[in-house]
Amino acid sequence: MGYCVSIKRMNEILKELQKEYKIYAPVRFEKRGRYSDTDLIRYAEINSIEDVVYDEKSDFSPKEVIYPITQALFYFTEYEYMESKIDDKKILIFARPCDINGFRRLDTIFLKNGGTEDIYYKRLREKVKFILMECKEGGWDSCFCVSMGSNKTDDYSLAVRFEDDNILVEIKDDEFTNLFGDEREVEFTPEFVTSNPTKVNIPEIDSYELLKKIYDLDMWKSYNSRCISCGACTAVCITCSCFTTLDVTYTENGKVGERRRVHASCMHEDFTIMAGGLSFRKTAGERMRFRTLHKIYDYKLRFKDEHMCVGCGRCDERCPELISFAATINRLYDEVKKLKKAETTKDIK
Amino acid sequence: MSYDIDIKKVRRNCYRQSKVRGEFMLQIRVPGGVIDAKYLSFFQHIAETWGNGEFHLGVRQTISIPGIKYEYIDEVNKYIRPYIEEIEVNLCGVDMVVDDNGYPTIGARNIMACIGNRHCIKANIDTTDLARKIEKVIFPSDYHIKLNISGCPNDCAKAHVSDIGIIGITKTEYDYDRCIGCKKCVEACAHHATRVLSVEKGKIVKDSCCCVGCGECVLVCPTGAWTRNPKKFYRILIGGRTGKQTPRMGKIFLNWVTEDVVLGVLKNWEIFSAYVMNNKPEYIHGGHLIDRVGYNKFKEMILKDVKLNPEAMVAERVLWAETEYRSNFNVKPVTQR
Repeated sequence: MGYCVSIKRMNEILKELQKEYKIYAPVRFEKRGRYSDTDLIRYAEINSIEDVVYDEKSDFSPKEVIYPITQALFYFTEYEYMESKIDDKKILIFARPCDINGFRRLDTIFLKNGGTEDIYYKRLREKVKFILMECKEGGWDSCFCVSMGSNKTDDYSLAVRFEDDNILVEIKDDEFTNLFGDEREVEFTPEFVTSNPTKVNIPEIDSYELLKKIYDLDMWKSYNSRCISCGACTAVCITCSCFTTLDVTYTENGKVGERRRVHASCMHEDFTIMAGGLSFRKTAGERMRFRTLHKIYDYKLRFKDEHMCVGCGRCDERCPELISFAATINRLYDEVKKLKKAETTKDIK
Repeated sequence: MSYDIDIKKVRRNCYRQSKVRGEFMLQIRVPGGVIDAKYLSFFQHIAETWGNGEFHLGVRQTISIPGIKYEYIDEVNKYIRPYIEEIEVNLCGVDMVVDDNGYPTIGARNIMACIGNRHCIKANIDTTDLARKIEKVIFPSDYHIKLNISGCPNDCAKAHVSDIGIIGITKTEYDYDRCIGCKKCVEACAHHATRVLSVEKGKIVKDSCCCVGCGECVLVCPTGAWTRNPKKFYRILIGGRTGKQTPRMGKIFLNWVTEDVVLGVLKNWEIFSAYVMNNKPEYIHGGHLIDRVGYNKFKEMILKDVKLNPEAMVAERVLWAETEYRSNFNVKPVTQR
């Protein structure tokens, strides 16, 4: 069912929804961008539909709504502990198709990876319903969702298209039907991007021998001088889920404190450092290799259905050194093709 | 050819005497060093019609056209009238009457600036925009002032060696919850700036006393925990200069001031200069004027009617450090030891 809703009415509906929901969307933080007089667009609670930045790609992904960057797990005193609490309200997130598909990857990592569910993720994830936001035609320059098969989704409760004076809404979830009862009915279902300017070819890595050769490729070394290991790419990634856990004791009483988890990045130098100082990925190139293979090889090998990367392209947009992940994947594809060709030639000989 | 020329009058008109008798170099103002590219053909026409065909990118970012014969100056002045009108009056809003006589004075020199945040990833301010606003305040004045604007404390525009140097700084803000304690800002600050950041319990602590406001922490922060304050701040340096006798670095006068304060201070420059020189403008560097009456008198006069913003800091005194080419009395020839 589709409706045409005026901005004014949409805001009234949002007000109504806010009684039960916290509503999150990409919001503009003026002059808070990396460079002077640039804006930052990231997810935050909204109070009106005008707050939603729908015509630009957000710098950061919506993962931080339910997987906060800093999250207290529990608080402890000398003899007791108390689990952290969350807000009672349910959560609505304005999200793009790639991000909704990204949340499925996060679900896999946090809920279906081994025998244990991550309750801190689960308790927020269970509250979430999605409002699908259409993308502009072809997506944005750095998008390659079509190549990753994450350009479409039917996992949403509402879908919206922003027009100049109105918002077209599709309702898939009966819970929301009543709210729109008085609105003008129209034919509307969201349109998905079907082709991006940026395309990637995923290399097929079908043997352990090939994987070993990929490990030793020279292409990774080029990132030793290009990548500054800042971790901006993983911070914005909808599917990056690594965290580190630490106990923080309070200054006034060192026996009281909290256990918290904080996002971590495989691109940082200290990510693989163990007690005793042993480190597995010492160079930026090695870390780039890990990230690349994790996104387009490891994850699928383990969980079968799909690659981890959804092709949102935020890592490309946010990299201060202008390293493109799409270009990296394509470079790897070419290298793998060469390796395979060399192998075939050898066989003939 | 024999010439009878009042050199000072011609210089005041922004024509500099050449070693070739009767030739001059026109210095065309480009406030902040940025203007539309369309003026390139305009400069080319002057150089090829009245000059020797060359032009110099003036060290104070003027477009300088050498080889103009004295007898052509009237023609050139007529030709540059629309340029002066467009740049000074229309672009910068300078309150002046433009006629066929060229630039009215050379006193307040061309304002220098780096490219600023219109392009540079390090810059904290729009230096071009500020230069144009300042041009309106300081020009045309017969009182000498060299003013340089840098977009960040790297100071590529050499604010440290000008009468008044202005540096764009940012009062960065820290979002505790967005910080992942990765220490990238700590490393950047130690490497590029003043080592004011450290990690405590997985988060960042800042010794804000010595923060120079460069914004390197923002540039490197992966999560957007460090952001620029949307409010713009400036540092003002005074008394820097080059020269044969006593070149010296400018020193901090004001820190963390707003644009209103910068413009307010500059409005008082002419009054201060006139006071020190008894209303007779001379080519004397600003630092010497401050030295003549003392820093405290300078401070009193330059801050008159200026409303300092709450974040502002003012130098209590200034410890000058000069290179004293005239007074190295204990550096003597070996024969006199």
